[in-house]
Amino acid sequence: MQVAVAALAALTACGRRAECTGEYCGTLVIAGLGEPDILLPPASDDAHADAVDDQLYVKLADLGPSGNTFGDVGFVPELAERWEWDNPRTITFHLNPNARWHDGRPVRAEDVAFSFDVNTDSIVNSRARASLTKVRRVTTRDSLTVVFHFSEAYPEMFYDAVHHMRILPAHLLRTVPRDQLRTAPFGRAPVGAGCYRFVAWKAGQSLELAADSTCFLGRPHIRRLLWRFTPDPSVAVTQLVAGEADVYEYVPPQDLERVRADSQLVTYPYAGPYYTFLGFNLRARGDTSLPHPLFGDRQLRRALTLATDRQQLVQSVFGGLAKVPPGPMPLLWSTWDSTLRVMPFDSAAAVRILAANGWRDHDGDGVADREGQKLAFELLTVTTSPNRRQYARLLQEQFRRIGVAVEITELESSVMTQRMETGNYDAALVSRIGDPSPTSSIALNWLAGSSSNYTRYDNPVFAEAYARATDATTRDAALRVWRSAFQVLLDDAPAIWLYSQQVVAVVQRRVADVRIRPDAPYALVRTWRIPADRLIDRDRVERR
Amino acid sequence: MTAWLLRRLAASVAIVFAVLTLTFVLIHLAPGSPFRPSADDRTVSPEVIARLDRVYGLDRPLAVQYLKYIGNVARGEFGESFSQHRPVARALADAVPNTVLLGVAALAIEFALGIALGAYQAARARRRVDAALSHVTLFFYSVPTFWLGLALLLVFGQWLHWLPVGGVGDPVVHDSLPWAGRVLDTLRHLVLPAGTLGLVGAAGTARYQRAAMLEVIHQDYVRTARAKGLSERRVLLRHALRNAVLPIITLLGLSLPFLLTGAVLVETVFSWPGMGKLAADAIFARDYPVVTAAAILAAAMVAVSSVAADLLTAVADPRVRLGARDAR
Repeated sequence: MQVAVAALAALTACGRRAECTGEYCGTLVIAGLGEPDILLPPASDDAHADAVDDQLYVKLADLGPSGNTFGDVGFVPELAERWEWDNPRTITFHLNPNARWHDGRPVRAEDVAFSFDVNTDSIVNSRARASLTKVRRVTTRDSLTVVFHFSEAYPEMFYDAVHHMRILPAHLLRTVPRDQLRTAPFGRAPVGAGCYRFVAWKAGQSLELAADSTCFLGRPHIRRLLWRFTPDPSVAVTQLVAGEADVYEYVPPQDLERVRADSQLVTYPYAGPYYTFLGFNLRARGDTSLPHPLFGDRQLRRALTLATDRQQLVQSVFGGLAKVPPGPMPLLWSTWDSTLRVMPFDSAAAVRILAANGWRDHDGDGVADREGQKLAFELLTVTTSPNRRQYARLLQEQFRRIGVAVEITELESSVMTQRMETGNYDAALVSRIGDPSPTSSIALNWLAGSSSNYTRYDNPVFAEAYARATDATTRDAALRVWRSAFQVLLDDAPAIWLYSQQVVAVVQRRVADVRIRPDAPYALVRTWRIPADRLIDRDRVERR
Repeated sequence: MTAWLLRRLAASVAIVFAVLTLTFVLIHLAPGSPFRPSADDRTVSPEVIARLDRVYGLDRPLAVQYLKYIGNVARGEFGESFSQHRPVARALADAVPNTVLLGVAALAIEFALGIALGAYQAARARRRVDAALSHVTLFFYSVPTFWLGLALLLVFGQWLHWLPVGGVGDPVVHDSLPWAGRVLDTLRHLVLPAGTLGLVGAAGTARYQRAAMLEVIHQDYVRTARAKGLSERRVLLRHALRNAVLPIITLLGLSLPFLLTGAVLVETVFSWPGMGKLAADAIFARDYPVVTAAAILAAAMVAVSSVAADLLTAVADPRVRLGARDAR
């Protein structure tokens, strides 16, 4: 059998032309958990597409290693080689004259203006649109100078101008009707100006990019990037262990031991962009004009928070790979503040609060009750998250100890969303992914009237603190106001913030200079390299 | 025969139409929205959802959507995938060849191995080797397909490095290989998924085949063949097996739809981009056009396979006369 397999492998190897040598021969196979929908950023709402778009397209500037989003400090030039503030509401960007589209045409200021137009078009409804609402217009001064005019000055205006919008080729997309962008052939054979150009996309299998050796940002060391679509995280890890893939950005906690046992693999922990919470529905099921019979009561929510041993939960589910967040925030955010006043685990205090509010087990069935009403609720969680399913059971047990009955309902994700949107739920385990800045995420999830504020939390004091935080003029001032805003949330307890994950990426040891930016793990791949003495056969394969 | 065939084909069209209608209605009535697929992560504003609903006609009454869809299908148009932003026909065209390849290989293993094993066991019935093989086939028959796939992947992919752990070809070298190399590369990638499906299927087929063979082996004509002095090998292969294989042809007919519908779990474990995975992903993404088209394809395949199985049975067994009952 072994002989037959070896012969087959040898035959398969026939015909390969192992030619490439030197520093620029690497091939990086990325185990991609999912396939992009389309490689046209304004028309896509897909995280898998983002990773590829990071290589294909450029931004004017991008976040630096500090991850700072205030002012322009720490931002790294990309298409804009420099910029200046004409006045507090006007930024002028000077484009790199060497930037070229992958079809050879130069990148010009009109491309930036066109990209802004597409991203703010209501028909396209790009994800970036919400972040560009304060940009009044974008004008071109000459072919290499573009000016952003804002309606008001605010601390993250530079971040908003550069971070969300990738620059598109006007000469290729101008004639595409805006309502047909999502299905434009361009999206499956894109032309960008990034350091990697599009080569091939085999639906359901792989996507290949090749380094642009003339890239104006510097020649990438790794010559080929291949996303190998993999439907399951554990299978992705198996591909790494078997040497069939080189990098995977998210190792599930249960697979970490397998990865660490392999001497050819190196792990890279980084701050994750996710946080997970138990959100309470503050309004009555089916009638949002009334408070929820249980969770409309702030004291009850605080009692449940006190009854939750979050440290123990994090330890038993994640080991050391997650932290209890001081509010609604991922580890990624600079607003993470461990000095915030978080309610401790104190089940005795929880029982006292419940008793003081009339919740006692009058009939001896183990469940507290008040005026005939049981202290019982339904907890929703998604079927696709093993971590949250485990959390649901552990929380059920912790609440049982203080006389609270929890019925767990596991739902398919979009069904759960629909129930939360319509207010037809009591409590739910929810995860949120955040941008590098808390501004948009906090507004979406915790401000009254926002589309994703499923708890229906509404506190003018918090809204006012949020407004001050987003208007603060310096980073330190903003952090101070964010702190007070989060403290209001923590005290009101519209949710129990359970965990923020530290993510672990795994990369083959032969890959050097690996730097992972937490908000976009592959954003810096153009600076990774595979030294000449570590090249393997597949690095040298020439594509026909 | 012709009349029978026409009647069966007409019935098949009705079945496909019924499946289309049921799938269309059920997927549209199921909770959730194609443009709000996840409870987590990114959020999509209600305005965007409303606009997308308008763009794809989902804001219109279900009956109107249904009639429009029927019209499109009649013209051979299956619409555009919500999640892949491309025509459904293109998505199916990418997935179907992979599924057919996997299905043909798996069925070949299943039936070749199953028939051979079943016949061998019957020829040695109630001996130790028969008992041992019965235990082995029972094990493979009972084991979940995904578990077996993971086990084979672990042993032959991760530990021994004999076979690739997934995909239909090596994404790095496949396109740089000559024609023969590409075929071999595909075969290497096919071994584990087809082997997984084939082994589980073969276990069931072997048990059927053993039972059928044991029934046939005691028939008068087999005894007659032996009395004529034919070798045991000739008796079993030429006389007994040919008749014992008839029930297996029906089994094969029932298995044919699998050629186009795929095996979700095995396709997932081995990252095999076939119909099963396409349909499963589409269901989770509420990609109505892909789900409905996949259902139509599966229904058509079941209907055609059923007709094909009857035809095959008639060819293999001269006693069967298609449409004879109707003729009486």
